[in-house]
Amino acid sequence: MTSPHRSGGLLARMRRRRSVPRSRARRRAASVARLFAALVLAGGLYTAFAPAISAEDAPLSPAAMEGKALFDTSCISCHGMNGQGIEGRGPSLIGVGAASVEFQVSTGRMPLGQQGAQAVEKPPVFTEEQTRQIAQYVQEIGGGPQMPEGDNLHSGGDVAAGGQIFRLNCSSCHAFGGGGGALSSGKFAPRISKTSDRVIWAAMLSGPQNMPVFGDNQLTPDQKRDVVAYIQETLKNGEDPGGFNLGRLGPVTEGLAVFIVGMTALIFTALWIAGKS
Amino acid sequence: MSLQNGSNGTQHRVPAEIDYDDPRTTRFEKVRAAAREDGVEIVHYEPQFPPKGSRVERRLTRTVSSLFLLSGLFATAFVVIYIVWPWQWDPGDTWERFYTPLLGLTLGLSLLCIAIGVLSWGKKLLPREVSIQDRHDGGAPESDRRAVGTTLGYMVDELGVKRRPLLGLSLAAGLAPVAALAAAPLIGGLIKNPHANNQMFVTGWAPIKGADGSTRLVRLTREDGTPIRPADVSTGGQMTVFPGIPGGASNAHADSPTLLIHLRPDDAQVARANNLKGTGKDDLDRSGYMYGDFIAYSKICTHAGCPASLYEQQTNRLLCPCHQSQFLITDNAKPIFGPASRALPQLPLGVDEEGYLVAKSDFQATVGPDFWERP
Amino acid sequence: MKRRKVDLKALPAKAGNEVEDRLGVATPLRGILNKVFPDHWSFLLGEIALFSFIVLLLTGTFLTFFFEPSMKEVIYDGSYTPLRGVHMSAAYASTLDISFDVRGGLVMRQMHHWAALVFMAAIVVHMLRIFFTGAFRKPRELNWIIGSLLFWIGFLAGFTGYSIPDDGLSGTGLRIASAIMLSIPVIGTWVTSSIFNGEFPGDIIISRFFIAHVLLIPALLVALISVHVGLVFKQKHTQWPGPGRTNTNVVGERMFPRYAIKQAGFFLAVFGVIAVLGGVLQINPIWLFGPYEAAVVSAASQPDWYVMFLDGSTRLMPAWEINIPIGNGYVIPPIFWPTVVLPGILVMLSTAYPFVEARMNRDNKIHNLLQRPRDVPQRTAVGAMAIAFFLVLVLSGGNDVIADKFHISLNAMTWAGRIGLLILPPIAYYVTYRICLGLQQHDREVLAHGVETGIIRRAPDGRFYEVHQPLSEDHEELEYVGWVVPKKMNRLGALGPAIKGFFRPLERPAEAPVSPGHPPVEPAPERREITAERREIESKK
Repeated sequence: MTSPHRSGGLLARMRRRRSVPRSRARRRAASVARLFAALVLAGGLYTAFAPAISAEDAPLSPAAMEGKALFDTSCISCHGMNGQGIEGRGPSLIGVGAASVEFQVSTGRMPLGQQGAQAVEKPPVFTEEQTRQIAQYVQEIGGGPQMPEGDNLHSGGDVAAGGQIFRLNCSSCHAFGGGGGALSSGKFAPRISKTSDRVIWAAMLSGPQNMPVFGDNQLTPDQKRDVVAYIQETLKNGEDPGGFNLGRLGPVTEGLAVFIVGMTALIFTALWIAGKS
Repeated sequence: MSLQNGSNGTQHRVPAEIDYDDPRTTRFEKVRAAAREDGVEIVHYEPQFPPKGSRVERRLTRTVSSLFLLSGLFATAFVVIYIVWPWQWDPGDTWERFYTPLLGLTLGLSLLCIAIGVLSWGKKLLPREVSIQDRHDGGAPESDRRAVGTTLGYMVDELGVKRRPLLGLSLAAGLAPVAALAAAPLIGGLIKNPHANNQMFVTGWAPIKGADGSTRLVRLTREDGTPIRPADVSTGGQMTVFPGIPGGASNAHADSPTLLIHLRPDDAQVARANNLKGTGKDDLDRSGYMYGDFIAYSKICTHAGCPASLYEQQTNRLLCPCHQSQFLITDNAKPIFGPASRALPQLPLGVDEEGYLVAKSDFQATVGPDFWERP
Repeated sequence: MKRRKVDLKALPAKAGNEVEDRLGVATPLRGILNKVFPDHWSFLLGEIALFSFIVLLLTGTFLTFFFEPSMKEVIYDGSYTPLRGVHMSAAYASTLDISFDVRGGLVMRQMHHWAALVFMAAIVVHMLRIFFTGAFRKPRELNWIIGSLLFWIGFLAGFTGYSIPDDGLSGTGLRIASAIMLSIPVIGTWVTSSIFNGEFPGDIIISRFFIAHVLLIPALLVALISVHVGLVFKQKHTQWPGPGRTNTNVVGERMFPRYAIKQAGFFLAVFGVIAVLGGVLQINPIWLFGPYEAAVVSAASQPDWYVMFLDGSTRLMPAWEINIPIGNGYVIPPIFWPTVVLPGILVMLSTAYPFVEARMNRDNKIHNLLQRPRDVPQRTAVGAMAIAFFLVLVLSGGNDVIADKFHISLNAMTWAGRIGLLILPPIAYYVTYRICLGLQQHDREVLAHGVETGIIRRAPDGRFYEVHQPLSEDHEELEYVGWVVPKKMNRLGALGPAIKGFFRPLERPAEAPVSPGHPPVEPAPERREITAERREIESKK
């Protein structure tokens, strides 16, 4: 039905009421349809925008199940239920691999004691077996670099080649003697002259915190073996042919020693020779 | 003859002029008179022990002698150890590492034993004395000074420079070039133009011009010369790279070592954006410098030239260990702490047909520490 | 043939006469034998420097027989397996050979390096003694200037010395040195390029440093040390004020026999200490640094301690660059100020100080008597300021090691150094000045009121007071004469402590009375040997 002169714009037409009200059945059907449409819309939006729950498609291995149990009690408060990380507390563990876990957990750095400039080494909380289980779990949920087997990762390594790699890549942070060094704003590169083969390898492979990553594509396993051989065979304490090494810290300790040992001895000798009068 | 009180209260008969043949003058009196000739007055001379020998003296003598003998023992030990002890370097915990400490100890103890023996001898066995010497300070007396002054002045006048000024002037005028003559070979031999071959502004990364006019870009290589593909650097990792030219990794190209960093994707975004923005201090166009997530900066610190190598993967700071300058890798490597005042030059990266990383051109900024002419 | 009787007893006299007929040295020799030297322990500090210099010459000569000062590239093939097959300069390889393939070479190398550190430490301690006691005043200003120069030449000797092995640590230092030279305005690039024969590192710097280190600098050192010691001989050593000592005499011992024996003994002691250090404490382990490569550096890179203050000033300097916008633009980089201007100022300040102080005090008299530091509070406070300044710089030179070992933020260490450098010297000045004034006051108080005896008495009215032992007979006020005022009862007397012994007394002192009613004190049990009879020895000779 036409009404006399009631066209107007779209908005005007939308604002106008129906001229003839609908029947009750039709109204009901329409409201059901509207409800259904709303539900579909809401569900679709949710599906589109909600974070995908990381559904574990493949079942975990027995070791990883043990590891998950340990993880759920000790790690999720900072790293999240599925290792995705929590803003301001802990980074995501997806892709860090078993190597990273082995480094952090076997040196006691994780679980973290307190938030600071960087995680510090302390007595480990988990046994070696438990560490391997947590590592297996993290490996299976996110993948990442893995460690080779065995405790001896240095025999057969070329010490001279390792030394050259060490001096080019490592001594700038860890110092020529492996004694460690300062980084900016409270961070530091720890002492490596008294570390195990596996920890050194794991650190190179995983690049913990601010240490750069030296993956197997960059430093081949043979080169890593050379570096570990250099550190373990040359930088170990007791390899100093010149006597006590004063911490291998360079001229700082040498200057301290010349005053504390040398000049003190000589000034006492002068006092003895000439007396105080 | 005059009587003089010694400081210990006894009296000595001291002749005014000593007679060396008089048997009554004691040897000490002769020594004292001789000292007086040099302006020295011995006022107190006290042997520490009575002449007939005492228990303490004998004990001290024994101590000093045993110290000397001990020193000999240590010296012998030094020679024996020097010859006999194993000393060739040997990896592992072996006897060789005691060679140097033992040598030092035996030598040092040997010398110290003689030292203590000699010093004990001097301090405890020799007589104590107090002597006084006049200083005769202040230089020559007035008359002497005037004599010297007059002589010098007369001598200068006799030279006749005042009378013949031409002599003096010509001498001065002639000597100056003679001085230059002496200095010329030394300075001339040493002096070297710092800008020969534009060496302060060209590094090993400059594209090589072939004989036929073609230009070959220089590959990034490891220390052993092998070229590098992008896949060879771990994400979050860094590698020191050298120009792929003969001797590129040697000290002949000490201005060329470069740090190649594979940034994580979000850091690489930031770095790219900042590359476009620039540092604000220079007008370089860094827009195509990165290759994907790879970024490369000169390793040679712009402060004093040490290799700035401490790359902090999470904060993206590059710390130089020498004077603690810190450069922000994601912001054109500009200095954010420490004494460095200029950003590290950035190497434009590309990839050649075989997939190896190359430098698209040389550094566009001066590499290394600043100098006067740096534009 | 008749055998001529040789009179052994007269032989020395005959030989002496023969020498005297030809050379005429008898009178000067007697003069030297009878020369009087004052006796105080602090006068022996300069000798430490002198004797360690002699040790340096001896060990250094040994090293020159084995060292090869060439930058030619060789491949190492010696005993030290971790470096076998590595390319390095001949200089570095020969230093490795000295350390591992020459019998006893390592101990000689280490002794040489420790002797260098002891040399510089002794120079600084000796210089401080001269400064704080005022021994640099007229007529000894020239000796002070020579001494200051000796510090800087010794600095250069050490710098060239530890750079010639061409190892990683010293090569980095050489790089910094070239940057310092580059930073000089106008001529910087020319100076650097001339010294290095081109761009850094060139191929000749080690050879040039070698000849500087073994010939030019030691010649200069020997000449200056001879003049320095000769001046002390000629002007005679200064002495502390005290009984019998005036500005125009020297009270002490004659050269022979005691003084010469003390010198010889001390030389052997210095040599012995350096030998022990050289054997027992490892220093400069170049095999761990590797050969110098431009891309390699280590954390904890510092120069030797006597250069470390310049490293500290470089670390603390803010990044203030001066750009001169003329033509292409010119730059004065920030490293110029702490490494070129600062040492220049330090040299000028130290060499001008005697004249500045004389001018300020309007004092042009000859001074042969030393001053106790407390009696010249301004000078002592200035010295304390200088020490505070130097210490902040040296500690800042090692600030990365300190930051790492004591878990302090590196950035915080740098800021602490910057601020400390500005506020610690004035604080040191003020504190030292007040301490000097306090000590002076105490001296005068003891002179006026006597020495505290530790005996507390109670007066009839109930008041407690301590008994003081007056220093003058009739309680007159004594004048301070510039020498030590005895503060304890066992120091009374003109010739030093009555109780002999350094750590423990050699004899037990008499028991102090416990109360006024105690019976009189027994004399100490008489020692059997040392009696007063020896006084009669003289007249029996």
